[in-house]
Amino acid sequence: MRFNMFRYLVKEGYRSLRKNLFMSAASILVLVCCLLITGCAYLVFENVNHGFEWAYQQNIVVAYSQKGSTSEQNTAIQTAIGGMDNVSEVIFESKEALLERYSAEFGELLDDLKEDNPLQDAFIVRLKDLSLFDATVTAIEAVEGVDSVDYNADLSAMLVKIRDVVLHIGAWIILLLLLVSLFIIANTIKLTVYTRRLEIHIMRSVGATAWFIRFPFMIEGALLGTTAGTLAYGLVFGVYQVVCHYFPKTAMFQLISFADVWFTLLIGFLAGGMVVGLLGSTISTGRYLKEQTE
Amino acid sequence: MIEFRGVHKRYDTGIEALKGVDIKIDAGEFVFIVGASGAGKSTFLKLITREEVANSGEVIVSNFKLSKLKKRQIPYLRRSMGIVFQDFRLIDTMTVYDNVAFAMRVVGASQKDIRKRIPYVLGLVGLQNKSKAYPMELSGGEQQRVGLARALVNNPSMIVADEPTGNIDPDMSYEIMELLTEINRRGTTVIIVTHERDLVKAFQRRVIEIRDGLVVSDTKDEEVASYEI
Ligand SMILES: Nc1ncnc2c1ncn2[C@@H]1O[C@H](COP(=O)(O)OP(=O)(O)OP(=O)(O)O)[C@@H](O)[C@H]1O
Ligand SMILES: [Mg+2]
Repeated sequence: MRFNMFRYLVKEGYRSLRKNLFMSAASILVLVCCLLITGCAYLVFENVNHGFEWAYQQNIVVAYSQKGSTSEQNTAIQTAIGGMDNVSEVIFESKEALLERYSAEFGELLDDLKEDNPLQDAFIVRLKDLSLFDATVTAIEAVEGVDSVDYNADLSAMLVKIRDVVLHIGAWIILLLLLVSLFIIANTIKLTVYTRRLEIHIMRSVGATAWFIRFPFMIEGALLGTTAGTLAYGLVFGVYQVVCHYFPKTAMFQLISFADVWFTLLIGFLAGGMVVGLLGSTISTGRYLKEQTE
Repeated sequence: MIEFRGVHKRYDTGIEALKGVDIKIDAGEFVFIVGASGAGKSTFLKLITREEVANSGEVIVSNFKLSKLKKRQIPYLRRSMGIVFQDFRLIDTMTVYDNVAFAMRVVGASQKDIRKRIPYVLGLVGLQNKSKAYPMELSGGEQQRVGLARALVNNPSMIVADEPTGNIDPDMSYEIMELLTEINRRGTTVIIVTHERDLVKAFQRRVIEIRDGLVVSDTKDEEVASYEI
């Protein structure tokens, strides 16, 4: 394609965007909202996932063997727990090792305890599926030689719940908003197509190819979409900075940094905006470009 | 150049606009299509330009068998013809020059070719001094000459015009017809649908009369009075 032809087509697309400023603004706005919500849902999702990793590191489930267990008994316990379907890993930590670790954290304070270690041998259990948490914990409690099980049921339940809510409700809202944006963009471009129907008719009658007629509208759609994508990206960045600022900073759990997701988000927003824009223009130009077939 | 073989056209409404048309128009001919309102004249032209498709029979235009023409080939068929409209179809926001240049731009002509070609074509239709004017500043006859220039600009082998003088007063109509005659003299096939008996009489060309979807006469007869126009 010759360069001046390309420039002409791009200029046409830009011109029609300027002409329908109000409708263009409306479609950009809706698409921005849609992308904004999508972006926020994505960030929540990423943080929940991050939270999962953190939760695993917190050793959500720890089983203790009865006081005075022999190493054979401990091995039996480890085998029994390790054989469960929902258990991905069992790590044995002897009471001596445990005390060692605590001493490192709390210093001389615990030195006295070395003579008569009050701790119990522990098994750090990692689960595969947190939604089967209760059943698995019950099963571990029932293992011969297990004294007690420590766990943070609330935390795991909350994580599972957040993840499900974000996934399910988020997906529906995003889908709905995408459809709404698509509808509005298609109508914006339909308006352009309508105001330019004379030009389109002339183009067809002098033998312009379908893609040539379509191209300016594609440009218009792509411009609408990528403008919305860029705006939404800026907004998500701003919103996330504010959230990070007010989110309680604890040593244990921190929000993921924007730097970890900036690229995925940027590409996602630009591509998402572009796809919606192009799809919208394809829908709205279709009817005017349809040739008789038989 | 153009051939209809047993062509039937029925619209979705059930109306049969053409009921078996056989006709041949050679390259370089000048033809008037006449007939009463609703006879099927516009349908005949739309089958040539492939705005409509025949239900049966075959239409052949510039070596394209239209029943076998693929969608993506339609633009190339249309580049072989210049279409002139009764209502001119000029773009009000563009100058005369740009209206004509538009037809070249959208088929991918280079700026250089456009700059060379437009003055020539505007000269051909006698509008060399009006290139900066807008359609609204022109008379009906002048507007139709712009339409003609636009139809000619891509150098088609035929001109197809559905009542090109329908919206123009008689003196101007005569001028447009003379222009079309001149274009035909240079080798372009010209096909014109018209209701104007006086023009048909004055120009003494081949006349094809369509009545109720059939060709009922095809002659150079000078006795035009018998035509149902
Ligand atoms: N798009 C269409 N859909 C349905 N019927 C149509 C369509 N176009 C034309 N017709 C019908 O087909 C018949 C022939 O129409 P056509 O336009 O070819 O006539 P015409 O000879 O050009 O008439 P006029 O001199 O009034 O322009 C008419 O009965 C008309 O109502
Ligand atoms: Mg007609």
